[in-house]
Amino acid sequence: MDFIIQNVLNALQWGSFYALIALGYTLVYGVLRLINFAHGDIFMVGAYIAFFVSGFLLGPVIGLSPAMAFAVTVPLTMALTSLVGVTLERIAYRPLRRKGAHRLYVVITALMCGLILEYSNLAVLGASRLKFPELIEKQIWHLGGVTLTNLKVLVIATAIVVFLFLQWVVTRTRVGMAMRAISYDKFAIPLMGIPSDNIIVFTFILGSGFAGLAGLLFAMSYPVLEPFMGMLIGWKAFIAAVVGGIGDIKGAFVGGFLLGFIEVGVVTVFPSTYRDLFAFTILLLILWMKPTGLFGMPQSTKI
Amino acid sequence: MLLQVENLEVKYGNIQALHGISFHVNEGEIVTLIGANGAGKTTSLYSITRLPPPEAPRVIGGDIKFRGESILKTRPSDVVRKLHLALSPEGRRIFGNLSVMENLKLATYSRAKNADLDHEYERIFELFPRLKERRNQRSESLSGGEQQMLAVGRALMTGCKLLLLDEPSMGLAPVLKYELFRKLKQLNEEGMTILLVEQNANLALHLAHRGYVLDTGNIAAAGTSEELLGNPEVKKAYLGG
Ligand SMILES: Nc1ncnc2c1ncn2[C@@H]1O[C@H](COP(=O)(O)OP(=O)(O)O)[C@@H](O)[C@H]1O
Ligand SMILES: [Mg+2]
Repeated sequence: MDFIIQNVLNALQWGSFYALIALGYTLVYGVLRLINFAHGDIFMVGAYIAFFVSGFLLGPVIGLSPAMAFAVTVPLTMALTSLVGVTLERIAYRPLRRKGAHRLYVVITALMCGLILEYSNLAVLGASRLKFPELIEKQIWHLGGVTLTNLKVLVIATAIVVFLFLQWVVTRTRVGMAMRAISYDKFAIPLMGIPSDNIIVFTFILGSGFAGLAGLLFAMSYPVLEPFMGMLIGWKAFIAAVVGGIGDIKGAFVGGFLLGFIEVGVVTVFPSTYRDLFAFTILLLILWMKPTGLFGMPQSTKI
Repeated sequence: MLLQVENLEVKYGNIQALHGISFHVNEGEIVTLIGANGAGKTTSLYSITRLPPPEAPRVIGGDIKFRGESILKTRPSDVVRKLHLALSPEGRRIFGNLSVMENLKLATYSRAKNADLDHEYERIFELFPRLKERRNQRSESLSGGEQQMLAVGRALMTGCKLLLLDEPSMGLAPVLKYELFRKLKQLNEEGMTILLVEQNANLALHLAHRGYVLDTGNIAAAGTSEELLGNPEVKKAYLGG
């Protein structure tokens, strides 16, 4: 029993990371019909931003306590990562949109933006890995045979809070309604007096901000940073979003947690080298049975 | 003059859709643009509301003035939020994944926070009681007539002073058509200026004060509704003899 609970907790933790990243893919897709392949690297950038921000706050100039540094790092990381996401949208995607470029070129652009983020990181910081500082003192609780860390609880709780927050935004606020509306008919948005670009920027702020938060939490949980850390996790989160039904917020979370459970489940039975093979195969089967994803609508009504 | 279109020439790519047309709308009027399918009615309205590029029809000549000032450089969303011009577009284009109420709320996106919106929702619901019954329904599930009412209600909720309507009678059963046109008359009597685009010339001319007949991108006739209704050529071409 303890063994199962332990694994459920691990699955929830990984699922939380996937879900937090997957929602960025899904939001941008819902609003722009664009698969933002740079999003995994936005997560990586978020982890690095968190590294430098917290390093600066802990350092001799400011000298905050780790707890205080954490409290300031969270909003700052989210804000700065949002800025990176919005900058990508401004300098890469928007000009293409203005010219009416075919979606294929926009997707290629996104892929390239991701690679540029990875390799500019490599160029500037080199290939050496960075060690993330300990921001919150690790607490380990033993409940029977189950070990629980405060960090794990924090990660899972964050994913849940973010989910509830996004649901609230999308159903209760006018900007959230506009996000849903733009995914249905982007043409009619300006007719409501709404500048489409504002809604798009807001979407990138949400997606990138939470990718930044995921980057910070990930770096705290697995405190080694390298330029390509966003690649595989980004792909997995993207696939999770598709399996959940891309464009649907619930789908991103369900897909993310599903992937977490599949991965942890596979590893409890098979050698860990089988993990990704099995996980992707199962996801492929799900898509084979339901190509639009678990929560996906057949056509254009998303988010 | 509230709205003034002067020698407007519009192209889609290399195809010219409007060949220098002029018309105007005075405050308090109902003016109708009638004409066959493909005459350029929708293009005229889209030129006024300035669709975002690249879908936008390209104005290559002439001018569109609102209260005397050119609006050709105005952003599409500003046409609604600053000039208070609203379009109920061809094909309604309501947000089917939103509820009726959400559609109406969304139209107030750019309005002042202190606007008395509750009062205005009530006014829309008085005008179109069916919408009130269905306020929490997903708007995709509405009938064609109800969707049209929502499209008009949504345009009104932007707080417009000039209402542009693109073929509001399209696809409606006769009873609903007459009901909708009665409501439009009521709106006008309460002070709304309306520019109505219609293929149903008879119905439109019986509602409007003045009208223009559009034929393959040119104004073929203009005058008061009585004049147009009595014009033999208009009768022959658009009123079924
Ligand atoms: N998006 C477009 N691209 C190319 N041509 C168009 C487009 N929209 C309309 N047209 C052309 O412009 C002309 C006027 O069309 P439109 O304004 O839709 O007419 P109406 O609304 O009177 O039926 C037609 O010849 C039509 O084929
Ligand atoms: Mg038309």
